[in-house]
Amino acid sequence: MIQWLNDPGNWTAQGGIFDQLWAHLQYALIALVVAIVLALPLGLLIGHTGRGRWLVTVANAVRSLPVLGLLILLYVMLAPHIHGRGDTVYLLPTEIVLILLAVPPLLASTVAGVENVDPAVRDAAAGMGMRGGQVVRKVELPNALPLVFSGLRSATLQVIATATVAAYLGLGGLGRFVYDGQASQNFAERNAGALLVALLAVVADLLLAVAQRYTVSRGVSGRFSSRPDASTSAEGGPPELPAPPATHTA
Amino acid sequence: MKKALTSALVAACATVLAACGSSGSSGSNGLSGGSSASAGGGATVASKLVLGGSPEFKTRTDGVPGLQRVYGVTFGSYKTLDAGGPLTINALKNGQIDAGDIFTTDPSIPANGFVVLQDPKNLYAAQNVLPLINKAKATPGVSSTLNAVSAKLDTNTLAQLDVHVITDKQDPDAVAKGWLASVGLNKTGTAAQGASIKIGSANFQESVLLAEIYAEALRAQGANITTRLNIGSRETYIPGLKDGSIDLIPEYSGVLLQFFDPKATAVSSADVYAALQKAVPAPLTVLDQSSAEDKDAIVVTKTTADKYHLTSIADLAKNG
Repeated sequence: MIQWLNDPGNWTAQGGIFDQLWAHLQYALIALVVAIVLALPLGLLIGHTGRGRWLVTVANAVRSLPVLGLLILLYVMLAPHIHGRGDTVYLLPTEIVLILLAVPPLLASTVAGVENVDPAVRDAAAGMGMRGGQVVRKVELPNALPLVFSGLRSATLQVIATATVAAYLGLGGLGRFVYDGQASQNFAERNAGALLVALLAVVADLLLAVAQRYTVSRGVSGRFSSRPDASTSAEGGPPELPAPPATHTA
Repeated sequence: MKKALTSALVAACATVLAACGSSGSSGSNGLSGGSSASAGGGATVASKLVLGGSPEFKTRTDGVPGLQRVYGVTFGSYKTLDAGGPLTINALKNGQIDAGDIFTTDPSIPANGFVVLQDPKNLYAAQNVLPLINKAKATPGVSSTLNAVSAKLDTNTLAQLDVHVITDKQDPDAVAKGWLASVGLNKTGTAAQGASIKIGSANFQESVLLAEIYAEALRAQGANITTRLNIGSRETYIPGLKDGSIDLIPEYSGVLLQFFDPKATAVSSADVYAALQKAVPAPLTVLDQSSAEDKDAIVVTKTTADKYHLTSIADLAKNG
């Protein structure tokens, strides 16, 4: 496996590691962006109004569907409607599956984040004359951000790991090495592919941790908080996150 | 609400896809890219086409490299899908690929009017259906009954019967009886009178169907038949044949030869059968082979076949 990874040809060739890494990132990014666009406003809305909590339950239930089965089902359902040679027919089912995986943790953590905002803070905002939308933007979202980030990191890990299945549908990505290596009994290639997926997921998680540190207000991250765990964050380490709600543990 | 969410999801997805479609499709646009990349002397038919199949087909000796070596056929591009499964079949049906590696008796072939390209140079080793039987049970009457079945069975027939069993989910035993009646092999006789035979099958539908065909043909000739279907793979049932747990099983000549003699090189139907007769170990023997073959094939749609006048894999190497 080390030998396989050390061969520069395996990195730079057409369809080599660099190509597939880029493809893998693209699949994951599309899914994450769409999931954020869908789940973040919806989560803020549900958390703010307290209505539609059942949507979180529905979204979580969707996660129990087996990815590979859903992928093939979607492909067989969509294929007759998409003609021509482009990759859309493979990309669409793949992205839907990835989005379905990314939405639940984001939605659940956003809702939980907003719901856990101290009612006194919300009252103060209303008392200052803020309207609903302003409360959401200026008070609830910043306060919910640590939990939103925890959902995003969990979603990112899952999407990067699962984007491997794109290769099953004839697309690229690091899964290409896993499937092709398995099929041709080139186990070095297969294991290297799996390792690269894991490394990519860890690196992405670290980057998000850094982003979280610089995005979350220091007031929220605990520096001025009177919580007993404030001392750990005061030392400059990443903020201690409140325990995630039971519904979004995998 | 849920419905609206789903459609919003699909719409958002499609928008994003459309946005990145321009960059993503440049590599897979086989029409312009493929023809310019082909060897000198004009563009071959194959260079304009996209081939789809399993991941291993891309690298295995009788896959993409074999097409090049034996027929000089190089496709414009290769799409990695599955081994003759729903992905390859749907992609062929909907034009994402122009040719697919699909098995010759696959029900999708008659169902969609796909054209199986001939393989005159035997790139794919012959895989004729034949009965593998314990020699002690192969009395002249039993042998002649099974040989009569093999004489009537061909690839098209088997593919049609597979449609009934696999696509239409009909009972394999009923399909077997129906076919035997249609070719006049259901007439009762005494050829296999007194024979007691345990018939097995591998764990896939076509093998079950073939076992039922053998079973019903022998029953009609007075044999006492018990069946043990869906046993598993060759590694499980060949020892079963040797120790007498079962006496008879439907097999395919090419893979059976490879199983008994991994170094075998025979590819044509007659050569494989001759080599197989020598390679089959002691208590077992093979009876006459049928002309029905279940093996890899390059399959195209009727439209593609008509457009480029394709009947054989060799036609793909012509300029078109």
